[in-house]
Amino acid sequence: MNTEHAWRYILVGAAISILPILIVFRLISVQTNPQEVSTFNDQSKLYEGEYHTFYPARGQIYDRWGNLLAGNKTVYQIGIELQEVRNPQTIALTLNVVLGLDYTKVLGAASMSPSKDAVFAVVADFVPPDKVEQLNQLAQQIVDTYKGSQDKNAPSLSGLKTVPHLMRSYPEKDVASNILGFVSRDNKGYFGVEEKYNELLAGKPKTVWMPLDPNRVSELPNVPDGASLVLTLDRVIQAEMEKILDKAIQSSGSKSGTIVVMDPKTGEILALATTPRIDLNDFSSYFDTFNSNTPFDRGVSQAYEPGSVYKVLTMATALDTGAVKPQTTFLDKGVFEIGGTLIYNWNGGAWGPQDMTGCLEHSLNVCLAWIATQTGAKNFYPYMQNFGIGHLSGVDLAGEVPGRLKIPGDADWYDADLGTNAFGQGVSATPLQMAAAISAVANNGKMMAPHIVRSMINKGYQYDMDQRVIAMPIKPETARTLTEMLANSLEKESSDALVPGYRVAGKTGTAEIPTPMGYTSNMTNVSFVGWGPVDDESCCSNLGFLVYIWLEKPTTSIWGSEVASPVFSQVVQRLVVLMNIPPDDVRHQLRGQ
Amino acid sequence: MERVQNLTNAYSQAPWRKQLQFLGLFLLVVVFIGLVAGVYLSVTARAAKVGRDIQSMQSDLEQYAQSNVNLQSQLGFLISASEMEKRARNMGFKPIDMDQAIYIAVPNYTDRRPAILAPAPGRVVVSAPALPAEYSETLFDWLDRAVLQSPFPLINLKSLFEVKP
Repeated sequence: MNTEHAWRYILVGAAISILPILIVFRLISVQTNPQEVSTFNDQSKLYEGEYHTFYPARGQIYDRWGNLLAGNKTVYQIGIELQEVRNPQTIALTLNVVLGLDYTKVLGAASMSPSKDAVFAVVADFVPPDKVEQLNQLAQQIVDTYKGSQDKNAPSLSGLKTVPHLMRSYPEKDVASNILGFVSRDNKGYFGVEEKYNELLAGKPKTVWMPLDPNRVSELPNVPDGASLVLTLDRVIQAEMEKILDKAIQSSGSKSGTIVVMDPKTGEILALATTPRIDLNDFSSYFDTFNSNTPFDRGVSQAYEPGSVYKVLTMATALDTGAVKPQTTFLDKGVFEIGGTLIYNWNGGAWGPQDMTGCLEHSLNVCLAWIATQTGAKNFYPYMQNFGIGHLSGVDLAGEVPGRLKIPGDADWYDADLGTNAFGQGVSATPLQMAAAISAVANNGKMMAPHIVRSMINKGYQYDMDQRVIAMPIKPETARTLTEMLANSLEKESSDALVPGYRVAGKTGTAEIPTPMGYTSNMTNVSFVGWGPVDDESCCSNLGFLVYIWLEKPTTSIWGSEVASPVFSQVVQRLVVLMNIPPDDVRHQLRGQ
Repeated sequence: MERVQNLTNAYSQAPWRKQLQFLGLFLLVVVFIGLVAGVYLSVTARAAKVGRDIQSMQSDLEQYAQSNVNLQSQLGFLISASEMEKRARNMGFKPIDMDQAIYIAVPNYTDRRPAILAPAPGRVVVSAPALPAEYSETLFDWLDRAVLQSPFPLINLKSLFEVKP
């Protein structure tokens, strides 16, 4: 190398080296200065990752045939990323036009300066997808129009963010609304199945740290969806019962009504129609429809004095204890005294000698009060307790009330109560409790646990719920005898409840309504309980139903036989078609083949 | 001494050759560092791309899950009881009355069964790991399996060690 030119090489080498040296120097200074280390650490943490909460999809609810009753749909949260906002006016105007939001409020939110405490402003939530699509189209139009514009005031929706999430949807709208309940915006179930199984349906959200660095990408956490439920409900039967109920309420001028349809052999509730109902997709109408005294589901949440349908339980007790036999004769003189109280028949008349079927056929209070005394309070009340009167049935629906059964020893129980309780006054129960209790008579003495959930689907498996016998309050022969008596009594009185081609058993009920002053109201509650098909092989039939009807304060007639009985007939005429139950003669013929 | 000097001069390399060697060595180091840096960059870039793809797919997965429940819900609305009834009526159907139903005996007919939307929980069968033995056995294990315990041993090793009386 020529030494006289060496300085040039040294100069070039030095010039080239100075930049790396400066970089190395800066690196060392940054790494060794605690303040700088802390600053850069803080900055890097901002972009290192974020906490992400994974919300499991709420479990779906199906009817017994797999039709969706409650599902989920995507809605959007609309927010503003303050750091990215370029033109707050455009955002405010757009949201005002598309979503109808208050211009001033949105402008205020969009104009906020980003700070450590404010980076994102939520301006709307639960926005439907079509509105979000409109927003996206507008945003795209603005981008296309003002692409490359240097004008700082050019319209821009930069900073406007849409965050999707799920909310509940109910395809059947108001059908079975009282059974399903609804889910509020904070994903909490209210009433019905949604409340009873809220924890199971909701699943458990999981919050995890998700690094943004693609080199440190981690596996998505396993957040299983909430469990799904298959109900015992048949949506078509439910919808039909609601239609029949609405018509019955209208034609009878009743205040409200309830129809319970269950399978007495399994305890499955096939339908539970009641009023009022709401479209669950618009649950905000709840406050307009239900005042503080209106239960969401009268079937389980409103106890009432059932009246003469209760005579089924009184007679079952008397027959089971041997206090009376079907042939036992009672001379009805039109009045019966018990505990200082005089009991009269519904028409105030004396019906003369009656066998037990006659007592049921004519619904004689005097006779039933006498039967209760023959049974004795010592037997009567334990039987009622075995029938589940006075305590919760345990049905898997939220908001069940126990009703009231006064028993000897209670401060407010008097001897006269035995007489009045015998025909369903002075005792209260919900329609479902009554249906469950009387199902023991329809099911050979076995009382199955009433339930609404048939199976549960969790983590890919379907678990069937057990069908439990909760009590055997009466003997099978008692149940069969009483069923026959009640079927005969309907036939003898040519009841409006009869269904051509099908033999059914049943009992009407007309109950006075207690007021704080006693039974002073002219209004009544009318009921009917019936089951079928009742034939020689009813014990072995796989096709069975029990129907309980309650109409509150009808105005066209105060009698159950005139208001509730025809409704039972209508209900059964639809049920036999929907449940594919052939008429008795066809069924016997098919069995014989 | 002069002889030594001559020998040294004769076997020492020319200055230009030394510079060339130094330059070559330097370039070799630079190329090596470049290669390592290149390989490192390539691998990390590919890893980052794969990571980014995974993040994107995770996001897609979330969207598909939402879309799935959305579609289920839409389907629910389309086949709801009221919609189906409306459609049936529009097609000229009407609900039958009780006395219009005709029942016939169908041999081996099984009644409609309630919905089965998922399998019942059964015995959990844990599948055995499908890792071939070659990945876990030692050479001696292989010898034992393939040679000694084989029905057709390559060689009868046992016979080699058997002591015959």
